[in-house]
Amino acid sequence: MSFLHSVRDIFRGRAMGTAGLIWLCVILFAALAAPWIAPFDPLDIDPVNRLTEPGWPHLFGTDHYGRDTFSRCIYGARMTMLIGLGSVAFALVTGGAVGMLSAYFTRLGNFLMRGIDVLMAFPALLLALVLMTLLERSVVNTIIVIGIVYATTTARILFGMTLKLKREVFIDAAVCSGAGHGSILFRHILPNLISPLLVQASFIFAFAQLQAAALDFLGLGLPPEVPSWGNMLSESRIYVTRAPWLLLYPGLLIILSVFSMNMVGDAMRDSMDPRFKDDIAGV
Amino acid sequence: MLAYTFKRLLALVPTLLAASVLVFLFVHLIPGDPAAVLLGDSATPEDVARLSREMGLDRPIYVQYFIWLGHALQGDFGTSVFFRTPVMDVIAGGAETSILLAVLTMIWIIILGIPIGVMSATRHGSWVDQLASGGAMLFASVPTFWLGLYLILIFAVWLGWFPSSGFPSIHEEGGLLNLRYLLLPSLTLAAPNAALIIRLVRASMLDVQREDHVRTARAKGLHPARVAIKHVFRNALISVAAAFGFTFAALISEAVVTETVFSLPGVGQLVVQSILRRDYPVIQGVILVIVCLYMVINLIVDLAYAWLDPRVSLK
Repeated sequence: MSFLHSVRDIFRGRAMGTAGLIWLCVILFAALAAPWIAPFDPLDIDPVNRLTEPGWPHLFGTDHYGRDTFSRCIYGARMTMLIGLGSVAFALVTGGAVGMLSAYFTRLGNFLMRGIDVLMAFPALLLALVLMTLLERSVVNTIIVIGIVYATTTARILFGMTLKLKREVFIDAAVCSGAGHGSILFRHILPNLISPLLVQASFIFAFAQLQAAALDFLGLGLPPEVPSWGNMLSESRIYVTRAPWLLLYPGLLIILSVFSMNMVGDAMRDSMDPRFKDDIAGV
Repeated sequence: MLAYTFKRLLALVPTLLAASVLVFLFVHLIPGDPAAVLLGDSATPEDVARLSREMGLDRPIYVQYFIWLGHALQGDFGTSVFFRTPVMDVIAGGAETSILLAVLTMIWIIILGIPIGVMSATRHGSWVDQLASGGAMLFASVPTFWLGLYLILIFAVWLGWFPSSGFPSIHEEGGLLNLRYLLLPSLTLAAPNAALIIRLVRASMLDVQREDHVRTARAKGLHPARVAIKHVFRNALISVAAAFGFTFAALISEAVVTETVFSLPGVGQLVVQSILRRDYPVIQGVILVIVCLYMVINLIVDLAYAWLDPRVSLK
């Protein structure tokens, strides 16, 4: 079955999931084509036209430096995609490896999973905040920190799933036919975990957006000059009474993107292998 | 049950110890001399040397850890660099606000989350259900600080119904009426969590509805409302109770943000301010206190779960 066929099967008859997927494609397009869509340079300061209301030529108005909000929103899509995809990749690779190896090699697992328990004793944002104090504000560090936070949950989920798979007859068969550890892990266990991993990825993507926005807002996320939706909200919060629209657009963009990702996750979970359905929790 | 409680309590100790190691190492992981880090930029070399001696930084690191842990166990996390008062006093100063905020938030979560969840499940598939589930999903996608800022704008600035920020203690003038300062913050904090509870109540009620004992109850002619409440809802509450530990974690995380938005003098804002001020003794103390609290709440939730559903402790 080709990739497009499986996408079609997942989203057929799931209107909300499809709408979510379309919106995410729009964001992805905006992120890729930002320099061609954005009418202004997102960093261009124009003190004469500061805090102007939405209209022409500034569709979403301008901020306290006179920068064009619409262009900054478009460029913000890049950060959204970068932070989302980056932290998902980090969480799935590290958390996935820890979870799978822990379930497969029980003795190693006793040790590694206790470490995960310790990290999970810290509430998510608190762990991110503590880690950010040790690191400088940068895009890569934000991705790593959010990635670590969600690597813990991913590890725990994959640990449970791998344990279930390990008891299946086809694994016994692989062992009997002389397959090595690497072959069992990568050829027999991992392919069965791909669809739950994708579902998990969509929920991490959604959560990561909210966490990144919160970090930006607290002044501990991306560097302040980076045009991200979280930074835009953080900067314009003191102008909320004078220019409420400044908060409106980046906020709505965050909400729509998180909502869409959750919808896509839900649609994917509903069409997933029933064995694992209880293991993955979305919003 | 007693054996299970004891076992769970015992299992808490190593995790807590490991968490304390992390919190302790945290200051040592920051590049530079911990004494200089603790004292901040304005410290003189003499101050740094004196604190180094006092902190016993010349001793092996594990000795330092045990000394620190010994003090921490007695509630002594050192002195705040910023306030120049004991860290425990600083934390205690924020406790009232944060505890009241948590209580009010929990009330909102329960009075909003549970009835809407039940309604959504009993009218599964209807427009009420779709509206409630869609709304819940939407609210779970809203950044808390964004919601908070707009609530301030609408209810405090435009309508003038509630104060926009701060919280005088309920022991000060105004007494319990001062709780109105916490109304918007608690609503902000409750929104995403109530959304979560709505989804959970709905999902677990739909699960229970499929069970045999519910069919039996219906078959013997019980009133649908009675079946919904006594047979479905009560059993569904078990898994909802289990989720309260998770909710509490989300609450702590979001309280940090919400207290910052509303400038509340609580523990959450203390975390952020201490991080921005590089007040490391306070960061260490407050993080350790929150982790302990979080683990104890999780334990209570798990025990309540085992008590409600005896099958759990037998596993």
